[in-house]
Amino acid sequence: MRNRATTTLTNPKIRQSWSKYNLFNLTRMRTPQTSFRTHFQQKFKAKSIARAYHGEQVRESQWQRMFSSRIRSVIPMDPYNLAKDDGAGAAAGRGSGLGNKISRAELSVQQAKQYIPFSQMTFAPLERRLDVAVFRALFASSTRQARQFVIHGAVTVNGQKMRYPGYLLNPGDLFQVDPERVMFATGAPKNKSERREGRALRKKKSEGEEATEAEAKEEDSAAAEESKEPAEAEAKDQPKEDPRKVLKGLMAQAKGIMSTGQDVLPAKRKQELRGFQKAVRRVLSRSASSTVLTDNLESQFAELTQLLKAKRAEKKKGDRKEGKEARSPKSEASDAQKQPGAPQGAAAADEAQPGEALTEAFRQAAENPEQEPDTSELSDEEFDVLKRAMVQMRDNPIDHSKPYGTPWQPRDFMSAFAFVPRYLEVNHSICAAVYLRHPVARPGASEVPSPFGEVVGTGAFAWYLRRR
Amino acid sequence: MPPRIHNQRVTNTLLPYLSSTSTTASSPSISRLPSTSTAPNGSSRPFSTTPAPQSRKWRTDMFQWLAKEGSELKSHVPGRTNYLTRLKERRARGEEGANSKAALTHPFPLNPYFSAENILSEELRNEIHARVTGRNKKSVRAVSVELGVDMRRVAAVVRLVELEKRMKSQNKQLALPYARAVHEMVPTTPLHKENRRAHESINDLPVHKLTNAQIFHPIPESRHFTRADAGRVFSAAPAQDLATAAATAADPTAAVDRATQQPGRIERVGKGEFETQVLQPAEARIPHPHLVALERYRLAHSEEPRESNKYYRTRLLEQERLEGEQRAQAAAREEQSTNKVAPAASRFEFRFRDVEFSEETVGHDGRGSIAPGRRYGVPSEDRKKGQVKIPTSVVV
Amino acid sequence: MVLRIRLARFGNKHQPFYNIVVAQARSARGNKPLEVIGTYDPVPKTNNNVHDESASARPVKDVTLDQSRTKYWLGVGAQPSDSVWKLLSLGGLMKPKQKN
Repeated sequence: MRNRATTTLTNPKIRQSWSKYNLFNLTRMRTPQTSFRTHFQQKFKAKSIARAYHGEQVRESQWQRMFSSRIRSVIPMDPYNLAKDDGAGAAAGRGSGLGNKISRAELSVQQAKQYIPFSQMTFAPLERRLDVAVFRALFASSTRQARQFVIHGAVTVNGQKMRYPGYLLNPGDLFQVDPERVMFATGAPKNKSERREGRALRKKKSEGEEATEAEAKEEDSAAAEESKEPAEAEAKDQPKEDPRKVLKGLMAQAKGIMSTGQDVLPAKRKQELRGFQKAVRRVLSRSASSTVLTDNLESQFAELTQLLKAKRAEKKKGDRKEGKEARSPKSEASDAQKQPGAPQGAAAADEAQPGEALTEAFRQAAENPEQEPDTSELSDEEFDVLKRAMVQMRDNPIDHSKPYGTPWQPRDFMSAFAFVPRYLEVNHSICAAVYLRHPVARPGASEVPSPFGEVVGTGAFAWYLRRR
Repeated sequence: MPPRIHNQRVTNTLLPYLSSTSTTASSPSISRLPSTSTAPNGSSRPFSTTPAPQSRKWRTDMFQWLAKEGSELKSHVPGRTNYLTRLKERRARGEEGANSKAALTHPFPLNPYFSAENILSEELRNEIHARVTGRNKKSVRAVSVELGVDMRRVAAVVRLVELEKRMKSQNKQLALPYARAVHEMVPTTPLHKENRRAHESINDLPVHKLTNAQIFHPIPESRHFTRADAGRVFSAAPAQDLATAAATAADPTAAVDRATQQPGRIERVGKGEFETQVLQPAEARIPHPHLVALERYRLAHSEEPRESNKYYRTRLLEQERLEGEQRAQAAAREEQSTNKVAPAASRFEFRFRDVEFSEETVGHDGRGSIAPGRRYGVPSEDRKKGQVKIPTSVVV
Repeated sequence: MVLRIRLARFGNKHQPFYNIVVAQARSARGNKPLEVIGTYDPVPKTNNNVHDESASARPVKDVTLDQSRTKYWLGVGAQPSDSVWKLLSLGGLMKPKQKN
């Protein structure tokens, strides 16, 4: 549920949030009027707009104490220029510089490039706050949520739990958020069926616990050991299961996703799933003595990668016959991609990327009709598909006990807000980031992320300057 | 939550085709949908004559926008940013605008001064870590120059990769799908083995507070007034005497080396609490002064590129040696002044540091702030308004 | 009158911090002492720097002490309290107290 108090549509304010309401407000935003307004009105308007975004969770008096009229800025220097001249040229020619024969128009262009947007740095002190930094590092979907994470003890600074959202990070501080919370904050929510599954799982779990408790009451001697045992037994059972069953289960899961989450899944993912199903069916159709099917997922994964390597080696010897398959007639999956005009260009861009080769293989596998149903050997692409599917299943499993929709995928409209400012160095896989330095302004750029233009920035700066 | 009635309509008829990436205006039934909802007499209130409240109008507008234009922002396209500016540019300038640099780098359409900058790709990060900690170790400074990454960032990357390895070895859960998604959404700097492209500018000169003021300082036309002289004027120091000025002009690299290698020896001006160091020229204040020295050498010996490479390497090694020495000295000093005792009967280690409580440190009234310990007779302001009451730093 | 070297408590609730002081034995804890000769922080600090291998495994308690002033006061007959005696003996300024 969105926070109705903070993202309204009637009295729109831009917030530090990835909400779609906020996005819509962002599209509607215009630069505030300055004509027929007194200077006071302009400043007041500017500061009220800006403060709704910058540190909306911070009390006004608190912010006024944080405000500093001193703005940090840097100038990138070129070592060659520094070595070539010692600066004496600038003082020559009666102070106008030596050999400075640029026309007035060129000079103004140069100056525009050199222009440092100081007024966009008004709210730089707020970027030091822990909750804002957590939001900027893309660990939370809003600053309010980041603040909650901090207060609930999910954030550590330099390895120590830090429960104050107002903690001002010092350069070099490393902060880390619990990965589970980050996945929850940035992942798509559960849909109806997933929620139901989760409820069922919880119910089952609590029943199981009750049962064990009852047992424990009966046998009061070894109560602690007793409660541990069932869990261990379950864990042991899993690898013993028939590998065919595991694969079948995976296929059923894939099917389940296809049927339930059709509105949620992007087309590409659906294709991947379809390819996966096909590959699994292939494996299952083979004889039970196959070497591919081993005890558990991990070893299967290792086996597959080995086979794949062997295949590659064979392929280098023999000539390439797959080229023909790649150009085989496209099925309805590719037609679906062809329909819209813009995504096609995007797809082309994907193909150019080296990392997307596997995705491409996936798609091809989905498109290829079963051309060799009698041979027991799997094609190279199918191995690729299966391997990728295994990786995905391992890294991104379906788990209804999680508070977010599984398999994990980014929440809607996340990409419109996805950027990492330069003063942070973020490692997203461990959900940790280092606050390198304070944000600075440089010619033509300011490091404080702000949705507002200069009219607002300057007005707000002038407003807070008045008492100093 | 979208208006319920529309949603139902969608689920009944369109949902199989309403996957997030393919929702565009091409599907005719979707584009027809909002027109029914914006009609004043929608089916939800068929007999009412009162106009719908403003809030409802915005809601319908919003869902209309989300279904049509905004649907493009719903899910990301791997390898490309997906910002609102793109939509706005497309509306203003067509496809050309949509693929312009501004459209791809500015997350906020109204703020041209903030752009989403590249982050380090996974490979580049691992490369940095390998170069700093690998078999033939390189200094942070050398790696920073090689890969065009800020020194502080290099240090942070090494820290983070170490932490990641530690977490992996402890079998802690990582957010891998999330990390993959973020790296698809945000522009990244790839690792190029051959043509190196700088990730960021590494020689940033922080603007010094003293240089904010404009100073009118007349000098004779014949005088050779350099950056170093300007620094002296800004910090109100008397002009250099002729001999030192001539020596500096003859060997500028040596002067810079003096300032960077022994920052404590820099000349000071002012009295009492106003005492400050003389502002040094830019080449002494940037993070990589040795690059300036290299360029100077190149300018002087332009015909021998191999020699200049050698010069650069020896200088770098020399600098590393000096820095290492200074670090070792500081550690030794620290070691000498503390007495570590680990008694067998205790779980703790006691560190005895020798300090001096004298009139100079404590002050004649016992309230001096230099000496360690809490002072007597000084009001404790820790509960006063405006005082920072939460931790200000966390020691590593 | 007896001079004692003893601890004077500072800090907030649950955050003790002590000055090692020289004071008249019958004066109150919070009174202004004759002299402050050191500090003792009883809250142990654990090293959480994952990158520092040289760090000790034990949690650390910090003591600062003005050695020369301590020796002087001991020389003129100041008597350490039990807890200060323990600290001074750890610091090598006195022999450990005999337990009987």
